Amino acid sequence: MIHVYGIVQELSELPQLTGVDGAPLERRRLGGLELVTSDRAEAEITQEAVLDHAAVVEELMCRSAAVLPAQFGRPFGDESELAAAILARAEALARGLERVRGCVEFGVRAAVPADEPEAGSGVAYMRALLAQERAMTKIREPLAELARSATPGAYLVQKDKVSAFRDAVERLTAEHPELTIVCTGPWPPYSFGAEAA
Amino acid sequence: MSSRDLQHQVTLLELVDRVLNKGVVLSGDITLSVADVDLVYVGLRVLLSSVATLEEQNAAAIAQGGLR
Repeated sequence: MIHVYGIVQELSELPQLTGVDGAPLERRRLGGLELVTSDRAEAEITQEAVLDHAAVVEELMCRSAAVLPAQFGRPFGDESELAAAILARAEALARGLERVRGCVEFGVRAAVPADEPEAGSGVAYMRALLAQERAMTKIREPLAELARSATPGAYLVQKDKVSAFRDAVERLTAEHPELTIVCTGPWPPYSFGAEAA
Repeated sequence: MSSRDLQHQVTLLELVDRVLNKGVVLSGDITLSVADVDLVYVGLRVLLSSVATLEEQNAAAIAQGGLR
């Protein structure tokens, strides 16, 4: 089986890593696109395989102009199957690469630590909900302004705006002590390739 | 749980979610065999229910009448 890590643009060199199950990484060209793959005997999803896959994708992000990470757990039986799938989507994938080029992804989650709602106090409960919703909006808007694209919980950020984005998260954290804000990243743009398929 | 542990666990959650649920679907065969990934999820579920950090979890809890 062929395990796909992602589609890359201008990859300088393969990472000094082995892939899932210790298999060597390979570069493949299909329909004007470049893929990084490795062979796999079994398509089992294990924690180790997921972490190995993620490590390779992260290295690809560091060594290329753009990477579209492939979803894990969808191996191809052979080269012709892989070629058919890629060629059928080549244009959309190329557009996807352009969209994420020069960008990384950040995850930002925010929540009001849940107080136990008082059973008898409907108005207070609804007010608390409203306050939470307003707080979320306050966080989303300034972060989305700094991002090329945003989904609930994920932001596609140009590399030259990463420090501005981080500063904004810190500022929001300071401005909203009532919220728990957790920021993770930079990630490869896992959340922004969906339209490409 | 210290904030560093929290950050670590959330990072792990976000990683597994991205690798398995996000990413470009190029088609291919869907793998049905899941071995020990559930270990990650179990740990994360504990995290989520104890801290209620993720807004989706919060929203779900609210929808269920404030269950946590």
